[in-house]
Amino acid sequence: MNELLGAYATGVPIPPLREHLLPVGDIDAAYAVQKEVTAHWLTQGRRLVGAKIGLTNKAVQSVFGVFQPDFGVLLADMAVNDGDVVDLGRLIQPRVEAEIAFVMGADLPYKEVTAVDVIRATEYLLPSIEIVDSRIINWDISIVDTVADNASSGLFVLGTQPVKLSDVDLRMCGMVLEHMGEPVSVGAGAACLGNPLNAVTWLASTMARMGTPLRAGDVVLSGALGPMVSVTPGARYEARISGLGSVRVGFSDRPAAGTGGTPG
Amino acid sequence: MANAAELLDYAARNAQAMPQLRLAEVADGYAVQDELVKRRLERGERLVGYKMGLTSRAKMAQVGVNEVIFGRLTDAMQVPDGAMVDLAQYIHPRVEPEVAFWIEDGEIAAVAPALELIDSRYANFEFTLPDVVADNTSGASFVIGAWQDVPSTVDNLGVLLEINGEVVQVGSTAAILGDPRRAFTDGAELAARYGVTFDGILLAGAATAAVPLPKGAYVKAVVEGLGTASLRS
Repeated sequence: MNELLGAYATGVPIPPLREHLLPVGDIDAAYAVQKEVTAHWLTQGRRLVGAKIGLTNKAVQSVFGVFQPDFGVLLADMAVNDGDVVDLGRLIQPRVEAEIAFVMGADLPYKEVTAVDVIRATEYLLPSIEIVDSRIINWDISIVDTVADNASSGLFVLGTQPVKLSDVDLRMCGMVLEHMGEPVSVGAGAACLGNPLNAVTWLASTMARMGTPLRAGDVVLSGALGPMVSVTPGARYEARISGLGSVRVGFSDRPAAGTGGTPG
Repeated sequence: MANAAELLDYAARNAQAMPQLRLAEVADGYAVQDELVKRRLERGERLVGYKMGLTSRAKMAQVGVNEVIFGRLTDAMQVPDGAMVDLAQYIHPRVEPEVAFWIEDGEIAAVAPALELIDSRYANFEFTLPDVVADNTSGASFVIGAWQDVPSTVDNLGVLLEINGEVVQVGSTAAILGDPRRAFTDGAELAARYGVTFDGILLAGAATAAVPLPKGAYVKAVVEGLGTASLRS
């Protein structure tokens, strides 16, 4: 845990945790580290606002040798306003990806959550850009590294116009992430576990089993709809998701890595 | 040029790969394509439209160019939606999901989901830009789904390619030059330079990477809001 907190504090990434600090493939042990780090953050007065789902792409899963997604927590100070320019000094080696955010309108305390439970509990959807980051040198991560490292979370940006779930074709909705008007990543809803709803259903069951169920008001980033893109200094990104509108974020000219500082 | 067209025509009709032509200029490629299509028309095939190629940044980068290319479609290349194709007539077929436009009086009059079966006549699917132009931009067969009115925007429709019910490619029409309408406008401008006016079908370009077509497959292109186009092998 101290290694990860050190990386956040200094902005200097650390070697992989697997082998010497975490048994290879011991996902439970990795979640235990994540839980410990989260608890530490909460004692600092940071506020939990939701969760993000990672490894929702089947091709990426097979690279990692896992057949399930993973998740991390979202804190209030990780939220970036639509259109803001992020100081790269807050991040180490950021990448961006576009996804659908579910905002929950009811608790989901059941250990076996169904898709209908999720549909009923979803208050609205928003388009989002997730700024992922890794505290591990060169993103050299295995499943235990990323799980311990809060599922490689960084910051997140949400659109501002709520859309009803019934108004979106979650499986077919097109996604384009543009850099200054040029498409740099394209995809559709089906890229996220066949349907983003599948990912949220998995998350809700998994979190309830771990004793931290989704609650009304939680934001859930459901998983990337296309390939992630490495952030370049000064870049400007806009994500558009069919039926959901758009959301944008920029980055400062200052180069990332080693400049220090914790999110927020 | 006539000799090059004969070689390509022979390769296509006998499903035999051939070495690259190594033509010097793109204009030479279009001259060979003219001859190649002329041979098909002389056999009684009918010109029904055109197709765009290299409409994604990824493919342009692959070939090292910054310009789209166009090819021709004949009625013999069209496969009815849902029909079976005979793999023996191809060398190394690949499929890709597309959007088709119906062009009338220089305007987009209708839109349909489409599936294109490409099959380079060159060994290992390797070619230069002039050579792929000569080879009718790797065109082999195509399927058009239901024609329908043009929606207000077509620039970010989700696109899936399914093989035997499994999603094997996911993309968006944004992959086609940011907006498939640009494939029409850029393509029409390019075609005009070669004395060609688009009319009838226009395959606007691939929305995902192409995937090898296996035997015994049910292949389906799904385009958000437009429906499907499929074939069997």
